[in-house]
Amino acid sequence: MRDGRSPRLRVRSPVHGLARRRLGPLEVVAQSVSGTAPSAAMAATPVIVAASAGGGTVWSFVIATVLALLIAGCIGRFTRRMAAPGGLYSLTAKGLAPGAAFACGIALLVGYGLLAAAALAGVGAYLDALLARAGLPGGRIVITLAVVVFGLLVAALALRGVRLSARVVLLVESVSITVMVVVFTLLLLGGPAEGEAAPMPDAGIGGIAAGVLPALAAFIGFEVATALGAEARRPFRSVPRAVGLTAAVSGVLYLFAAQTQVIGFATTPGGLAGQPEPVLTLATARGWSWLPAVLDAGLIMSFFACALATTTALVRVLFSLSRDGVAPRALGRTHARFHTPHVALAAATPVVVAVLALPVAAGVPVVVVLVALLTLATCGFLVAYVFVCLAAPVFLHRIGELTWPAVAATAVIVPILLVVLVVFVAGSPLAVVVLAAVVVAGGAWFGWLRLRRPERIAAIGVYDETVAEDVLGQAA
Amino acid sequence: MTDPIPLSGRQPRAVRSVLAVLEEIVAAGPGVTAKEISAALKLPQATTYRLLNLLVGEEYLVRLPDLKGFALGRRAARLAVPVVTTPPTAARAVVEHLRGLVRWGVHLASFGSGQVVLVDPDPDHPPSDAALLARYPQVSALGRLLLAEQADWRALVRELRVFTEHTVSDPAALAGMLGRVSAEGVARQCGELRADRGCLAVPVRAPDGRLVAGLALSGPAHRVAEPNPELVELLREHAERLSPLLG
Repeated sequence: MRDGRSPRLRVRSPVHGLARRRLGPLEVVAQSVSGTAPSAAMAATPVIVAASAGGGTVWSFVIATVLALLIAGCIGRFTRRMAAPGGLYSLTAKGLAPGAAFACGIALLVGYGLLAAAALAGVGAYLDALLARAGLPGGRIVITLAVVVFGLLVAALALRGVRLSARVVLLVESVSITVMVVVFTLLLLGGPAEGEAAPMPDAGIGGIAAGVLPALAAFIGFEVATALGAEARRPFRSVPRAVGLTAAVSGVLYLFAAQTQVIGFATTPGGLAGQPEPVLTLATARGWSWLPAVLDAGLIMSFFACALATTTALVRVLFSLSRDGVAPRALGRTHARFHTPHVALAAATPVVVAVLALPVAAGVPVVVVLVALLTLATCGFLVAYVFVCLAAPVFLHRIGELTWPAVAATAVIVPILLVVLVVFVAGSPLAVVVLAAVVVAGGAWFGWLRLRRPERIAAIGVYDETVAEDVLGQAA
Repeated sequence: MTDPIPLSGRQPRAVRSVLAVLEEIVAAGPGVTAKEISAALKLPQATTYRLLNLLVGEEYLVRLPDLKGFALGRRAARLAVPVVTTPPTAARAVVEHLRGLVRWGVHLASFGSGQVVLVDPDPDHPPSDAALLARYPQVSALGRLLLAEQADWRALVRELRVFTEHTVSDPAALAGMLGRVSAEGVARQCGELRADRGCLAVPVRAPDGRLVAGLALSGPAHRVAEPNPELVELLREHAERLSPLLG
């Protein structure tokens, strides 16, 4: 490449068609924060963690935050150097073999697809709860309709352009988080209920470690901003910051929420761990009857923003798989005016909605569907995180910029993630079945590609390359 | 965590190192790798990587498609004073011809350096200060041609300064205006830099479609605000003739 020869530069980026370099830093951060949907996890996760960690609940969250920051660090090693709409899939391709990148891509599709579906399920579930509080009829027909309507709304916003959807996400998520912070601050100021202190049983190191699992699951989706690499202004600065900041902010919010709930139940025998609906119980104990409705509204907004952010990422992964020649070519097309992957969106939305609407319409309680989807999505994310963390030092070695902190971070995080993944899958029979099916289907797909398009497979990992006009002196 | 340490004025060594890295990349040419830069400057590797990532983040540098090699990014053009090169005689003759046809000032600007550089200003109707035009491209018709061509026009705009009561300084309004510039192929500015003057400009494109220069008419602000279809047509005709001469 050197020795007097001019480097070969493309005239247009391989991911042309997307609205390049449009999103401001705040919009990128909002995308990642929404993908994590911290509001929902603030209300729901502490009690799940407390079931294992007992008195060590807060410590489980501290450890999970550190792990999330380590993962963010591994992702940042890529995103400071390259911008890819394929997110973790394209990043993995720059470090590991095509097979691993393909597996990461499949895991990411499962993760984003099911998280989007889970978020829509959350919208449906809390809308139902809100209707019930208002004395209006709910039920599965209403939920199914709501899911379909909100699914279409998400698709319409995601199609209409990345800026619009990023702004909607920013607005909705800020309101939702503000609502949650206000509610939790009020609860914290209220202090525990009257009575003797009844400390939660100390679950020891093992309990805290077991509590890390659900705590870490509360972070999934924090890397959504990576999929906006090509569309962010100054992506090498804004994307790694967005991912790191989301991990940190979510961690702080979770610690705050966990501490509030632990203190709130300090005088209740069994503590937080014994509560089915801790936030509502705390509110009722204080006679705040208005709070549940506000909480439901906040959660609906948070889940909606999450659905929009993950759908945006999902279609960009599909788009990248298509531009790599792995998925059908049509999925790589972009809308001429809106500059979004409209074909991928049209293909993905019905699947996301159906995954959720069919079981609900068939009579499965929406909360059961929500939990199952979240569990499966978490498995997908964990697999993708393992791959990208493994790939980081290999990538740095390939470009000759390896440093020891990169190796150390991977050496710490990958074994932990593997353990978490195994425990997570082992704890859910559904996950075993679905994961096995995905592995078989993915393996068959990859085998077929290896047979039919070996040269395309060898070159996967499309990203927003530097083009001639980006380089000083290369173009007029 | 692993964020690059922000540079403050109290870190003269870091600032010096950044400048040395930039110089080394210019000297070594496109494709130089981080290891080579670190070796040439005797800078610790981790420091070099951090500085390089910082400069890439700020877009003064770009990574070439192999992700190993570095080159100067378009933003680095802002570090250099634009060099005024005299256009070819044939091109100047075209501009002179237009000056003979209209009673307005006729200016030719080159965009080769990523800035507005007046290469043939009208001697009888002196244009606004060249430094001002280069510095605030969003308030001149010529600058708007250049900005409308960018994927991210904000990268070239330093400050949305207000010069007169007509100056458009709202980013959204500017973005809409630049959208119309690229759709219509003509930019204008009425009293936004000097209250009594205005400007009309059309792009000069190389035969392969690249934007290379802009041809502008300057006159009284109220006259510029009129549709002026015949003037725009005249400008386009001459821009067409300049295309093979400047491309």
